[in-house]
Amino acid sequence: MIVRITSGITGFDELTVPGDDLGFALGGIPENTITLLYGPVGVGKSLFCHSFTYEGLSTDEPCLYLTTDQNFSTIYHNMEDLGFSLQEYMEGNMLQVIDASSNGEKMEDSPTHQSSHVKNPTDILVKVSRGINSVSQNNPRFRGVVDSITAILESNDEMLIMRVLKSYILRVKEAGGTAIITHTQGSADPRTEIIIKSMADNIIKVDGETLVIESMKGLGQKKAPYEITEEGLILGKEE
Amino acid sequence: MSMVETGIPGLDELLSLNDGEGFPQNTTTLVYGPPKVGKSIFSYQFAYHGLDLKEPCLYITTDDGIKQLTQNMMDFGWFLQGFIDEELLYVIDSISSLSGVRVENTATYASSKINDPTDLMVKVGLGTRFVFKKSNEFRSVFDSLTTPFVFNPEPMVVRFLKTYLRRLKEAGATVLVNYTEGVASPGTERILKSIVDNVIMLDGSYMTFKSSYDLMGTAKYDITDQGIVLGEGEIL
Repeated sequence: MIVRITSGITGFDELTVPGDDLGFALGGIPENTITLLYGPVGVGKSLFCHSFTYEGLSTDEPCLYLTTDQNFSTIYHNMEDLGFSLQEYMEGNMLQVIDASSNGEKMEDSPTHQSSHVKNPTDILVKVSRGINSVSQNNPRFRGVVDSITAILESNDEMLIMRVLKSYILRVKEAGGTAIITHTQGSADPRTEIIIKSMADNIIKVDGETLVIESMKGLGQKKAPYEITEEGLILGKEE
Repeated sequence: MSMVETGIPGLDELLSLNDGEGFPQNTTTLVYGPPKVGKSIFSYQFAYHGLDLKEPCLYITTDDGIKQLTQNMMDFGWFLQGFIDEELLYVIDSISSLSGVRVENTATYASSKINDPTDLMVKVGLGTRFVFKKSNEFRSVFDSLTTPFVFNPEPMVVRFLKTYLRRLKEAGATVLVNYTEGVASPGTERILKSIVDNVIMLDGSYMTFKSSYDLMGTAKYDITDQGIVLGEGEIL
């Protein structure tokens, strides 16, 4: 039996209830897997990650969050706007952030917030590995977010990043975590995009209107319309 | 020609010849297709079915470590521990070392490194000898070439594969190798397809089989909680 964790995205867990069970099994994201969330810019990938993170935190699952596009202050405020207050979780060491963005003011480094840079994948991997050790000690059932892999790919040799990504994935899975990795479709070499897909366990595509589960452990293809609202993504009925 | 059962419902029947059902024994097969179409599941089924028939298996895992491999198979209700205890299954794990965990080597488990094909070949030698002693009719699975291509130059992976296929074939194995289409250059892909006896293409809906003696078959398939199940197919 495949254990699933709640996604935090309205309508997603209903969409992912496995079909042939007698209504006992719950939907969500399969535990201890890696999900690739991809699509064009500005279709709600980061919002998806915010809800996924907050859902974990509010159910005592710590989270390791690597951000590359938005700096963490922006994420912090965006999540407040969604009604997700992070302060308490940062104080309780439940949320650990690695901020590899290069725009705007960065927060000072602290045990729960570390700066890095997309041009320095080695430094990112060191900090992420340390972060995985630290959050998984707290609770092996933790969540990981990489939002996004795209900026790191743009600043480095893509095959090198594929090796770093493989290492990240292995570490998360070994430690017991469940992670989401976002990627902007079409921004890397087609070969690299195939490798990313082959490394992920689940693949979700979003285009601004429809969310397609292209592949998910224990589930066939699924599709549902969605809207971006003040409460985050809201999925409609399955198509 | 003797055959080995694949354990994939529908496939053995589809490929049935006068002298049995399944894959031609002691041949090499490349299973390829895009990501997430069931290539690993195919190899789990192939290995597990053999083990169930007491045919030993040399399993080389390069995408997932031993822990994940065991878990993935368990999701389908295929438990490996009994076969490990019986020493029917020999696993070479060339990826766990990358995650920083240390797994102890045992009589039936050897770890290797993803960027060291020479070490992997040494382990393949040891593993082949081990399973060969149990039975000279054994299976071998290499799942998959995808991660080796990410960590090594293409010609090096191809050279490794050629040696691997030759060795295993000489030892009597029925060999399965998985590969994600599009990860290597078109030239390398042509070589991969030319150095095996049979190819199986999976595209998410159809499985197409082509053997060295020009048997070609195709069938629709589904991935269920019992693994891959073939629908009605035809021999072309």
